[in-house]
Amino acid sequence: MKKKALLAGTIALLSIVLMACQDKDNAEVSSNGGETTKVKQTLHVAALESAYGKDMWSKIIDEYQTENPDVKVELTADKNLEDVISPNMKAGNYPDVILLATGRKLALTENLIKDKALEDITDVLDKNVYGEDVTIKDKLIPGFTDTLATNPFNDGKTYLAPMFYSPTGLFYNANLLKEKGWEVPTTWDEMWALGDKAKADGISLFTYPTTGYFDAFVYSLLLEVGGPDFYNKAMSYEDGIWETPEATKMFEIIGKLGKYTEPTTVANANDKDFKKNQQLILDNKALFMPNGTWIVGEMADAPRADGFEWGMTALPAIETGGDRYAFTFFEQIWVPSAAKNKDAAKDFLTFVYSDKASSIFAEAGAVQPIKGNSEKLTGDNKLFYSIYDNGAKAGMGGFAATDAVEGVSIADTLFRSIDSIVSGDKTVKEWQKNVEKVSDQLRPALK
Amino acid sequence: MKKTTEKRIFIFVCTTPALLLLTLFMIVPTIEVFRMSLYKWGGFSNNQVFVGLNNFKILWNDMNFIRSLQNSILLIVVVTLITIVLAILFSTLLTRENVKGGNFFRVIFYIPNILSIVVIAGIFSAIYDPTSGLLNNFLSVFNIESLQKMWLGDQKIAIYSISGALVWQAVGYYMVMYMSSMANIPESFYEASSLEGAGRITQFFSITLPLIWNNIRTTLTFFIVSTINLSFLLVQAMTGGGPDGSTEVFLSYMYKQAYTNSSYGYGMAIGVVIFLFSFALSAIINQITKREVLEY
Repeated sequence: MKKKALLAGTIALLSIVLMACQDKDNAEVSSNGGETTKVKQTLHVAALESAYGKDMWSKIIDEYQTENPDVKVELTADKNLEDVISPNMKAGNYPDVILLATGRKLALTENLIKDKALEDITDVLDKNVYGEDVTIKDKLIPGFTDTLATNPFNDGKTYLAPMFYSPTGLFYNANLLKEKGWEVPTTWDEMWALGDKAKADGISLFTYPTTGYFDAFVYSLLLEVGGPDFYNKAMSYEDGIWETPEATKMFEIIGKLGKYTEPTTVANANDKDFKKNQQLILDNKALFMPNGTWIVGEMADAPRADGFEWGMTALPAIETGGDRYAFTFFEQIWVPSAAKNKDAAKDFLTFVYSDKASSIFAEAGAVQPIKGNSEKLTGDNKLFYSIYDNGAKAGMGGFAATDAVEGVSIADTLFRSIDSIVSGDKTVKEWQKNVEKVSDQLRPALK
Repeated sequence: MKKTTEKRIFIFVCTTPALLLLTLFMIVPTIEVFRMSLYKWGGFSNNQVFVGLNNFKILWNDMNFIRSLQNSILLIVVVTLITIVLAILFSTLLTRENVKGGNFFRVIFYIPNILSIVVIAGIFSAIYDPTSGLLNNFLSVFNIESLQKMWLGDQKIAIYSISGALVWQAVGYYMVMYMSSMANIPESFYEASSLEGAGRITQFFSITLPLIWNNIRTTLTFFIVSTINLSFLLVQAMTGGGPDGSTEVFLSYMYKQAYTNSSYGYGMAIGVVIFLFSFALSAIINQITKREVLEY
């Protein structure tokens, strides 16, 4: 009898413990999911913590909550945002607003685009900026909402709003070039000539952090060899586009660049060791690398050669007087279709473009594509953002959205193969053929 | 009668939590993997399309998958062979011979096993570094610069560099396992054999090896499972599958397809292949290593 009582007691205890766990989980889920509570409306904002840091987001949230006392904002900011939010998203608990760019390794944004799981925010652009008398569209620099990066289905509808933009280009040590009396090359021919000169001094012409950094590089090069029309055709997988003479030129330039690349680059071109490649520039062991303006902050604490000074240039032109491009990379902010507080989310979107918000972002070095913003910059950033004033053209947007094709990835084939080109494991011809093949496979899957 | 009912209830209560957890976290997900491998699904939407065995058909022609499969098999073979030889060698030395500081070595060899795989990735990418790395500098000290390599940059050797790290972390664990079963072999066997004139090598092959054979068989299955799992973790942390996919193993390829290429169903099809592969491999190895169990 005693035993039975004990048994019953144990079972009761066990079930209470289990129930207790369950309750706690439920409570957590609802707060994460941003369900409307009795007192306040909860808005869940998820933002990637990039080189700009987490602080600016906390400040933005504080500011927004002071302006809107009845909205409670929950912030998730993390360097690996995908790992933090996607398990909850799979369980149906979506953040209301997400700042996460395309082109990330885990491609969460692309995944949702492929699933058409983003909210159409075209109407938000026509709304007034929070507390101001101007629409978002009028406040933004023209062109930023007409790209495949904001309108992935190419149907005139905007699904992703442009946030922090940053010109990308070739970064170098301006002081080293000054000391050696070398000019920054303006054409690829000058580039090769400089490469030979530098080689004689024991310096390699080129390095890259990882092949992922070639996206902006390849896009700019495509624009240079063929112009915007050609570029858009390539981005929408037009048949045979990668076998045209223009594309061949692009492949050949990168193939030749591979021969001028610092020999240890490939061994360190992974997410763990890429900073060693960036260090090559700081140590005067290589001249140029493709990168973005965040590099200054990223390498701020790294040791460097005496008198080191960051310099940035657009890609050299194909021929004298030809167009030079510096691709504009920008992060996007978007609302998932499955978000529970879409209206509150859209209101929040109008707030992030306000003068108040943009000055908080600017303090952290994050520049939004708002008219007149670049004039307020100081220091290195002033130099970087003035690249377009010095004749370089801006390229924007990336590949058009397609349905998922199993085992096929244009990024892997087009960019990742560059490791093999540099190490000599693949020829330029093979690479070109593979890219065209993948383009063929993706074409029928276009949205 | 009352006693047996009570006993039954007791057993029921004791096993239910474990069975529930097993069903919930092992059996259901496994069935789910098999089911999802028949669908085309991006991973987030509610739009799951039944495609039958189509995912497996694509898989058959996917050269990247074949390459990751080759890499995995290579790792399983190389890591198992080298680790098993080293582990048995060290454990024989430490149990049979009177090595000075034997306990110290036992601890030292076991340490890598306690380290997290991310730490191991850090240690080995420092060792393999082309300019400041231990390995290349070690070679230059002995004036054999011709052997210096881009350990993680050369597509032909990168996968062997990965296996080096895996062997390093596995040796201690298996060594301890073999040592424990060697310690159980009665000393009198060795005494008797030495009286009959058996040397150390004969003793090893005629006494030690046959008597720990069952243990070795068990560890072979461990080798398969742990190499498959750990190679994924190490590759993710160390090379990300690069350069250009040359160190991709099948779990990392599955992860890539399922989570970064919006092909969740396809990823699950790869999961099914891995599941069947590791089961079949373990079964085959279990069969061909079957010997009469020696009792002593």
